[in-house]
Amino acid sequence: MIKKKICMVGAYGVGKTSLVARFVSSMFSERYQTTVGVKIDKKVVQHPTGEVTLLLWDLAGEDAVTTVRPAHLKGSAGYILVMDGLRRNTLAVAIDLQGRVREAAGNIPFVCVVNKADLRESWEIRQADLDDLVSRGWTVVETSAKTGAAVEGLFHTLTDTMMQELHVDDSTADAIAG
Amino acid sequence: MNTAPLRDLVRENENGLNGGSGGDYTRLRELLVGPEQSRLEELQRRLDDRQLRTEDLSQIVAEAIALRARRDHSLQHALNPLIEEAVQTSVRRNPAVLANALYPVIGEAVRKSVAHALSGLVESINQTLERSLSLEALMWRIEGWRTGRPFGEVVLTRSLRYRVEQVFLIHRETGLLLQHVARSEQLIQDSDMVSGMLTAIQDFIRDSFAGTGGQGIETVEMGEFNLWVQHGPTAILAVAVTGTPPPELRNLLQRTLERVEAEYGPLLSSFTGDATAFDEARPLLESCLLGQQAQKVAKQSRFFFMAFAVTLLLAIGLGFFLIARSHRRWDLLVEQLRNEPGIVLTGADRFWWGRRYELVGLRDPLSTDPDKLIRASGLDPEKVTSRWEPYVSLDGKFALSREFETEKTALEQTVLRFPLNSAQLSAEQLAKLDDIEVHISKLQNDGAMIGKKFTIELQGNTDPSGDEAKNDKLSQLRAEVVEKALVSRGVSPDMLRIVALGSRQPEKRATGAYLTELNRRVKFLVITGKEAAR
Repeated sequence: MIKKKICMVGAYGVGKTSLVARFVSSMFSERYQTTVGVKIDKKVVQHPTGEVTLLLWDLAGEDAVTTVRPAHLKGSAGYILVMDGLRRNTLAVAIDLQGRVREAAGNIPFVCVVNKADLRESWEIRQADLDDLVSRGWTVVETSAKTGAAVEGLFHTLTDTMMQELHVDDSTADAIAG
Repeated sequence: MNTAPLRDLVRENENGLNGGSGGDYTRLRELLVGPEQSRLEELQRRLDDRQLRTEDLSQIVAEAIALRARRDHSLQHALNPLIEEAVQTSVRRNPAVLANALYPVIGEAVRKSVAHALSGLVESINQTLERSLSLEALMWRIEGWRTGRPFGEVVLTRSLRYRVEQVFLIHRETGLLLQHVARSEQLIQDSDMVSGMLTAIQDFIRDSFAGTGGQGIETVEMGEFNLWVQHGPTAILAVAVTGTPPPELRNLLQRTLERVEAEYGPLLSSFTGDATAFDEARPLLESCLLGQQAQKVAKQSRFFFMAFAVTLLLAIGLGFFLIARSHRRWDLLVEQLRNEPGIVLTGADRFWWGRRYELVGLRDPLSTDPDKLIRASGLDPEKVTSRWEPYVSLDGKFALSREFETEKTALEQTVLRFPLNSAQLSAEQLAKLDDIEVHISKLQNDGAMIGKKFTIELQGNTDPSGDEAKNDKLSQLRAEVVEKALVSRGVSPDMLRIVALGSRQPEKRATGAYLTELNRRVKFLVITGKEAAR
């Protein structure tokens, strides 16, 4: 059985927890996030090579006083970078976070998620911003925690990339971009 | 393309090489392979020139090492003896260099090691003290000595105060669960998430309190529940224990983790998420599921404790009851003795909670026998010693008793005398009857007062002369005369009894003529007690 550690990172209030809440099994209360700084959930994904158990480290959102602990990122096989389409500043936080995660955990696969797709018409983040991210080699997925759109697929995408990673030694970012 | 002219040219050149005019060939060669030739020469030069080759190699050596290290571990193996030798050489040449380099870490390492050892020592001192004094521990020592196993091992398997419920083997870097064994499958929450959270909390503690140097949590205690964590370089062994685990468990965890690290070291450092490889570690982890069901044992020992406590309480209760009963009996006896006429208690002491009693006092000989009271009290007479000084009580009862005795003596000393062969009292003797009557009436009064019944025997006697039948009749007559005289004076005839003795009880001193006269008489005998009732 394959197990993978995945981190959920993003600015405060982008909907990391609600994004996965409907798709994962959970045994810890959300209070852990504010105390310990992380809550751990589990998601089992079907993959051609067999079942893959994803352990989701749902890290407390970044804000003025909380920063992601590098120790929590250590050993991750991949991560999900979440931003809120309604708040443009979460994009900047995400870009900054991506740099720090790469520093702490290496060049590992990740998926960039723009949440609140159900309110797409009032987004502050523009298509051009997303195009810019894709040109950096990022995989960008638009999701809605409210409708659940594309969330299940998000885990599959990340799992596929990580499983590929087992056999590819080259730069991860290039592999995802292709 | 036609190649014939070129072939001819080459042949020609070969000829030239073989001694012909070579000017053309050389030119041609320069024209054709000149640049390659010079590059070959350049390469040759670079290969031959150590300096240049070193420079070239130096540009790629780091990348090459990194690449190879990523692919497999052969580089480590190859370098290992070199590094060891280099360190040895360095130490041999100048120990100060390495000492200085290690100085910042060695202090920390020693402090940590000493602190760890000390905390372990403190932890074990209590248990050691407790154990060295208990019967259970003695049995364990005997078992260890008998089976040749170390004492610590016996303690681990026999100690009944703890139970290892779950064992987690966790990959240190990712916090992923490698293997998990539990005593009961029902107990297991999602062990993957527990393992992750445990790692997250360790990180949290380390970041928040211990700085970056800390190892992480080693013990979590929550009432009856304990979480013991053993840290290795690449793996973490965590056990959930109920009850009070013995310190020896820590050593077992350490040994187990060391074995895991030794057997699975390469797998652990290159771990990418495939936990199946660690299935073989299950037996090793299962060997940590030690201890007994603490609850059951606690219940059983509680039963024995309760039984013991109840017995003890009963014994104490019975003891108190017996002591209280003998106290009460003693108090009653003392009370009784104090109220008893003719007895003055001057000392009544109790020793050793009723093991021995002592009575001291004054006693009128006419009073009730104290020994009789002691026997009646229920106390063991053996335990009671008493010392009584005789005295005369002024109590009314005893005064009357004494008067009764006085009157009795006086009456019994009175003798009425008769002339020879006669039952007639002389005037002189008749006068005595008044005194006798007074004695009798006093006896009657006193006897009534002190509750003493009595009868007065009128004993008629004769002298030895004459025949016996005649003497009996005479003695009878003499007694009847006295009786009649007394009754005429008001004495109740019920009180009197006539006894005709004839000459069978002569006055002992009565020998000779004068003394035989003394036997012609009536004597009085006051009979008290049971005799009187008849």
